[in-house]
Amino acid sequence: MKRLFIKIINSMQLPESWIIFFILGIIMMTFPFLDIFNKPVLLFGVPLLFLYLTAGWMISIIVIYLFMLASRHENKNTDEKNDV
Amino acid sequence: MKNIISSVAAISVIYTVLIFLIAWYAHHRKETGRSIISNPVVYSLSLGVYCTSWTFFGSVGKAATTGIDFLLIYLGPSLTAFSWLFLLRRIIKISKEHNITSIADFLSQRYGKSPWLGALVTIIAFLGIMPYIALQLKAVSTSFFLLSGVEKGPIEFVKLGSTTTIPIALLLALILALFSIIFGARRLVSSERHEGLIAAVAFESIVKLVALLAVGVFVTYGLFDGFIDIFDRLRVINPEKFSQLFTFNTSKSDPNYISTFTLLFLSMGAVMLLPRQFHVMVIENSDERHISTAMWLFPAYLFLINLFVMPIAIGGILTTGGSSGADYFVLSLPQLSGHRSIALLAFLGGFSAAAGMVMVESIAISTMLLNHIFMPVIVRLTPRTWFPVLLINLKRFGIVLVVLLGYFYYRMIGDSYTLVNMGLISFSAATQFMPAMLGGLYWNRGNKAGAISGILFGFLVWLYTLLLPTFSKSGWIPESVLTNGPFGITLLKPTELFGLTGMDLWSHSLFWSMLFNISSYIICSILLTQNEQERDQVHKFIGVFSRDEAQRRTERKRLSKPMTTDQLVTLMSKFIGEAEARKSLELYSKGRDITGNGSVSEFELPDLKRFTEKTLAGSVGGAAARAIVNNFLSDIGSSMEPVYDIFSDVRTNLDQNRESLFVRLKASEIITRTLDLQVIMDDLLRLLVMEFKFDIALIITKNDAGTFSVSSIQGENIQAINMPHWYLENVPILYLVYHDKKAHFINDLRLDHAVATLGQTSAEGFISCAHIPIYREGEPVIAVLSLFSKSIAGLFTKEFIELLSSLAGQLAQAITIVQEIEAKQRERSQKEAALLQTARITRDMEIAQQIQKSFLPDSAPVIAGIDIAGRCISAAHVGGDYYDFFLRSDQIIDIVIADVSGHSVGAALVMSEVRTLLKSEANSVRSPSSILETLNNQLYDDLTRAELFITMFYAKYDSETGVLSYSNAGHNHPILQRTHEPLSLELDTEGLIVGVEKDVFFEECSVKLSTGDILFFYTDGLTEACNSEGDMFDTAGVYNHLKVCMQLSADEILDSFYAKIHDFTGIQNLQDDISMVVVKIL
Repeated sequence: MKRLFIKIINSMQLPESWIIFFILGIIMMTFPFLDIFNKPVLLFGVPLLFLYLTAGWMISIIVIYLFMLASRHENKNTDEKNDV
Repeated sequence: MKNIISSVAAISVIYTVLIFLIAWYAHHRKETGRSIISNPVVYSLSLGVYCTSWTFFGSVGKAATTGIDFLLIYLGPSLTAFSWLFLLRRIIKISKEHNITSIADFLSQRYGKSPWLGALVTIIAFLGIMPYIALQLKAVSTSFFLLSGVEKGPIEFVKLGSTTTIPIALLLALILALFSIIFGARRLVSSERHEGLIAAVAFESIVKLVALLAVGVFVTYGLFDGFIDIFDRLRVINPEKFSQLFTFNTSKSDPNYISTFTLLFLSMGAVMLLPRQFHVMVIENSDERHISTAMWLFPAYLFLINLFVMPIAIGGILTTGGSSGADYFVLSLPQLSGHRSIALLAFLGGFSAAAGMVMVESIAISTMLLNHIFMPVIVRLTPRTWFPVLLINLKRFGIVLVVLLGYFYYRMIGDSYTLVNMGLISFSAATQFMPAMLGGLYWNRGNKAGAISGILFGFLVWLYTLLLPTFSKSGWIPESVLTNGPFGITLLKPTELFGLTGMDLWSHSLFWSMLFNISSYIICSILLTQNEQERDQVHKFIGVFSRDEAQRRTERKRLSKPMTTDQLVTLMSKFIGEAEARKSLELYSKGRDITGNGSVSEFELPDLKRFTEKTLAGSVGGAAARAIVNNFLSDIGSSMEPVYDIFSDVRTNLDQNRESLFVRLKASEIITRTLDLQVIMDDLLRLLVMEFKFDIALIITKNDAGTFSVSSIQGENIQAINMPHWYLENVPILYLVYHDKKAHFINDLRLDHAVATLGQTSAEGFISCAHIPIYREGEPVIAVLSLFSKSIAGLFTKEFIELLSSLAGQLAQAITIVQEIEAKQRERSQKEAALLQTARITRDMEIAQQIQKSFLPDSAPVIAGIDIAGRCISAAHVGGDYYDFFLRSDQIIDIVIADVSGHSVGAALVMSEVRTLLKSEANSVRSPSSILETLNNQLYDDLTRAELFITMFYAKYDSETGVLSYSNAGHNHPILQRTHEPLSLELDTEGLIVGVEKDVFFEECSVKLSTGDILFFYTDGLTEACNSEGDMFDTAGVYNHLKVCMQLSADEILDSFYAKIHDFTGIQNLQDDISMVVVKIL
């Protein structure tokens, strides 16, 4: 599981992936997606839009964090390679 | 009530002290090299300065009025954070490389270091931030009123019997300005990171987060029963409000997401483009690697700080029953529920948020003001020593100005806007930088014209559509302008420009400003070309990650004139102070080709120029730094020339040579023009003073006693200098110069070590001096050339000293030549004098000879019974020979032969005296001895005085009796050769040489002569005549020859002797006269 995770992260270690996330984030914040969640209803007792925004926000933070970890891991690897 | 005020004040003071302590600690840690700021967490927290009292109070306000869209202000930055790895990293890298001080500096540098662009950005930032500062003042002062329960109004201070009233917001503004000055404007170098400030800001970020979380937890879990409870209650109690708050744009029947997008867009831009964000994010960044942590930590911070905003807002609505005063729910909720301590914490949080923002913002803007508004004016002035003081105070002034402007905006707009709406005006202004910023980073063609026009149009639209309406709402501008448009033109209505309706204020403004901004940026960039300077900068900015050596080379330019690091330090000192200048140069020169005396290798110069520009840019901004350095370079007679490597070497040398060639040429003209050393020295010094702007030039010589004296002095205003006391303190250096034959120079007397030794010199106002030995290679020092300058420190570069030394060498050459010529002249005149003397002597001799000749009898007297002849063979120089005949009667003849010692006119004169005396005796009948005695007595005094003496043989012959009586005074013995006797006879009597002693007795003898006898008188010249072997003719020779020729007549005997002597001596000239007298008895 962990290996798979690292593998996925490593395969995503491209400069472009940041742009993809950036654009993805913007898309999530634009009309179609917002319209989906722009409803005055409760989900799990929490307003849907509020839940969408906070959860999406939290997830995005976690994603960045994981990528940061991965890239740091990779940097360390390349550093070690360089040392050798 | 007073109690509450004082407790609030006390807590504020304690809190302030705490912040100062933290700042001080951070600064202390930095000084000791263990920075606590250089840390990704602190960096991320410092970015939290984004959350101001707007976030703290205004978010809840917005949440309670328009609902969830407040979140967009924080979602935007979170989205932007995704881009940081490439966007922010690039900006930071560029900024560090160019020592960028602010966003204005960044844009100005990118677009060809344009000072206009920098000024424009500064003005926009300055005006644009005005509502934002006002927002902070409003929030904090309102929260203070709420907490203390005081009615809005001024606080009364009772002091010294009089009552002063100060509005609380003004007081707050002044306190915050003071904070900012203390944290941000103690020193001038603004590209240097403010560790104390960042520590304080980071701490404040923690405080406001903790405070808001505390209030949130208190409201959510204290007043209510968690999130779900709150949401549920609102839905039940006020479903309409619920749906309004938890959806976008529900107030309009047709939901569109324009305002959502606007908020998102504005906040995405603002998080990087607001001057304070740019400052903490870029300028204060200590390590690029911190970005990666900040990328998730900063959004996480925003997430946390906003987590309880919605619950608090709903809690406020539920508690107060409405959303009026929602901006201060954070404070009023705990207060209303009686939890004063939580309210106080909330107040502190709000204060923290406001203080952090105002501090960073005002520092950032005042840096921009200083660098882009004040500096361009200042750089046109001549640098003065008080410039650093002026600059730092201008920066402080800028801070106060920024804060006070915010205050006045607050007074004007007052309560007509909510906190968030005020903040959004500023966001909108900052967004105007976005096209130029992004274009500058990624678009090669983006040019200065585009950037300036884009930003300018965007700014004007912002001014018209956003800022103007706020004024009209506060009654500053007639309401009619807003409702009917200016001059009744509805198309120009600020809020519905060109008839665009159905948009909120921000979206409307954003649309039009961005339209004008982006389009003019693109159009101008495409239509107009970049100049060289711009292209240069484009490469540096866009190629920041791929810059290789090849690109570097193309920008390598040469200085046409050498500089020293001292010169640069002096320059930099004028703006950042000497200590800073030295420190930065020290850091720079580590491991570089810069020698101790500050001269810089040619290859180092372009880099050094760049470094100076960069260092100055840290204080005064890039555009101003460039102007300063270029001004400076053109002042010292050089500027960078865009000549590429291969040519520049030649060119540089040519330029250098051309200059020194001129001076050398002039110098040699001066030297060859005259032989007057004083004129040469004076003219040469005058040339140096004129050409190199020395204030005093001296030539100092050491005399034999070892003291120094001034041989020549030139300079402007010499009289103003207290000469005799002043230059003497340079004597130790002069000794040194004499000793080691090297030039000694001090490039900046103002430095401590120099002042210690040359106090008077520096007291006279001199700041640099040099002592250059005047000497020829391999010879001792002749004199010292001393040069003093009052205006230029660091004047004496290696090359310049070389030039001066070579001039000194030329001068030495001239001095030597003059001295040689003088010596030759002296020698010649001596020779001439000697020749003259010789000539005079020769002439003397000739005269003497003539006199002497004239004394000798022309012919022998004829007297019966004897054949008599006399002759004198003259030597090369005059002798003192004398012979004479005196006929006493018909029968008696006196024959005298004498030799006066010495060969001079004196001898001749003595001889004439002798002759006169003898002639006077002519008629007396006295014996030879008595004649000699008389002669001796009469001549003794004269002879002794003239140090002369005379040998003389005196004979008297009576032809009747045939008796020869004679007396000798030390003369060569005459020879008597008788016919019937083979042996010759020497006639001799006793007697001393004449003139040796007085009263000498002269013996007298007589001899009877018979026919055929020959008497031969001669002088020592005959016997002492030498042949080539050095053999003398001697008396023997005389005897022998006399025997041979005794049969001849007297004359013939003389001829024969003459021939014999001639043969004997060969070609050799006679050393002495030879006089001979022959008497033959017939």
